[in-house]
Amino acid sequence: MPAIELDGVTKRFGDVTALRGVDMTVEDGEVFGFLGPNGAGKTTTIDILLDFVRPTAGSATVLGMDAREDSEAIRERLGVLPDGYDLYDRLTGRQHLEFVAEAKRADLDVAAILDRVGLDLEDAERKTGGYSKGMQQRLALGMALVGEPDLLILDEPSTGLDPNGARLMRQIVREENERGATVFFSSHILGQVESVCDEVAILQNGEIIAEDSVEGLRAATDTGTRLVVSVDPADAETAAAAAREVDTVENATVEGDDLVVTCDSDSKMDVLTAIEDAGVDVHDFETREASLEDLFAAYTEADGERPSAPAGTPGGAESADDAEAAEGGDAR
Amino acid sequence: MSAQNEGLDGALRDAFDWYPVAKKEFRDAIRSKGLWVLSFLFTALFLIPGAQVLFLEENLGRQAQDIGMQYFISSSYLNIVTLLVPIVVIFAGYAAISEERTSGSLKVLLSLPFSRRDVIIGKVIGRSAVVGVPLLVALGLTGAFFAVSQFTFKFDVFAWFTLFTFAFTLVMVAFVVSISGAMSTNLRSLAGAGIVYFYISFGWNSLANAVGDGLADYLGVTGALRWQAVLFVKLLSPTQAYKTLTNSMLGEGDGAAMTARYSMFQQDQESMGTICGDVLNGNPQTVQSMFGNRTVCESAGSSLPLQFSDPAVFVSFFLWIGLAAAISYYTFDRVDL
Repeated sequence: MPAIELDGVTKRFGDVTALRGVDMTVEDGEVFGFLGPNGAGKTTTIDILLDFVRPTAGSATVLGMDAREDSEAIRERLGVLPDGYDLYDRLTGRQHLEFVAEAKRADLDVAAILDRVGLDLEDAERKTGGYSKGMQQRLALGMALVGEPDLLILDEPSTGLDPNGARLMRQIVREENERGATVFFSSHILGQVESVCDEVAILQNGEIIAEDSVEGLRAATDTGTRLVVSVDPADAETAAAAAREVDTVENATVEGDDLVVTCDSDSKMDVLTAIEDAGVDVHDFETREASLEDLFAAYTEADGERPSAPAGTPGGAESADDAEAAEGGDAR
Repeated sequence: MSAQNEGLDGALRDAFDWYPVAKKEFRDAIRSKGLWVLSFLFTALFLIPGAQVLFLEENLGRQAQDIGMQYFISSSYLNIVTLLVPIVVIFAGYAAISEERTSGSLKVLLSLPFSRRDVIIGKVIGRSAVVGVPLLVALGLTGAFFAVSQFTFKFDVFAWFTLFTFAFTLVMVAFVVSISGAMSTNLRSLAGAGIVYFYISFGWNSLANAVGDGLADYLGVTGALRWQAVLFVKLLSPTQAYKTLTNSMLGEGDGAAMTARYSMFQQDQESMGTICGDVLNGNPQTVQSMFGNRTVCESAGSSLPLQFSDPAVFVSFFLWIGLAAAISYYTFDRVDL
């Protein structure tokens, strides 16, 4: 049984479409990274899982139950770290944890939770109104861990955390996963999910544009080699035009003094030859294997200059205006 | 505070899904000094009239001692409660949900296994306790004052007054919280609750009379039917219902309910006669007073029509709670957050 299953989920807020027929499956026991730029619809997706908003079309199931009909039963078994949340300023850290435990009818070991998220017992006796952003985030993470949830949903969990905190967060994700929990977390920064995730989906403009294992995505990036060629600045445009003539070249742009060509790794020599044939001297060149960051950036660019999609993802990028509109919808 | 929690706290948790929310609300608010300022304010306002009389009058007559407590409740406490309690309730409750919505703590609350109905009910109970505790302190001290003073302390009368006051408070809190759930910002919630308060407190009688005038002018409905409609509308106001219910209880007699309803009207002599005789099943009598002729309503042996009786008035409180629940259902339960 999948932990999360979205089937053709569409969400419109007025005339703004935040999600466009999202299909996604998170298998039980996975660590699933949900990636996308701000405004892509990640939070809307999570809001649907939690029944904060109801889909315009399509259906969502969580832990085998309908996200709308059985929301309370689902939330009994969830640990959630929402995005853009706030704590109760006048209650202490301990009272927050007690409140969650009482809500879930769960046993609570305050000291153990605090220890895991790196807070002191002294901190727990203070009102959260005096907490720093990082401490709030640690407490909120601790609240999500109360009651050994079957599924953790973490929305941008690294927000407000320093590098140590981010490392701690990743460690907790691993520990929870080893305990048997499924972890679903969203981020707009690839580096945070790369090291802990089994499976990754990329959401852009309300559409899943890629869903694959981390290895699979890495493999996909191998097809997109970047060739950086140094030429005389005066010849750069000529060289770019020549490079674009080569069949396997996806893109060739002038960036500063360099010409950057995206192409198959096998056709590097063809490109260099084409440039020289156009009468341009190649001073130097180097190849860069695209990192996941590059892939992510390429996928989420809003100007349509996207590499051909790996593994059957829908084509047709949206305009920048749409991206902003989706962001407006996401903020609701 | 674990699953094995014993005692009342644990029992309440087991019985009610909303209990943790109510407790959190109360814990949050109990730390505010405002609560204790409120207790003091209520106590002072309740004690001043009685203390004043005791201070000025050295020898109270037997009758004054006997009905003193009822007199103070009817002439001042009812006004203090109907004017002040709703204002206190508004300030204690207008932000109950709108604040959580704007700050984002609602996301934390609703990611826990609470239904939205649990959240509303928990908030209503919790915030009612926030207003109810200072009120209880004040009423307790007031009761103690009457018990030790020369005035006769009638426990059952005072207990009923306390009960009606809590029912009134609960209705107001339910309404304010449901408005808070419907509004996107604190300011809108405050404005909405303020408008409702002014309408219920100061505009309702005009509304009731306008209904009567409209019936008479446009539909030709006159006489008893007209005044029945006016009384019916009047009694729908929680403020009016609370006052007339308490007055009826304070009267302690067979005709008390009739007198209490009758005193809700101030019309010309002929209309007052109709109201007494044909609406309330009473016996109108004209008496001479220093302000000219006046019609009083005496019990004629037959009881009030059921729809104007005390139990019916008490039930109208629950109509308001139902209305609040309906507002919440359509503006909070079923909508995207």
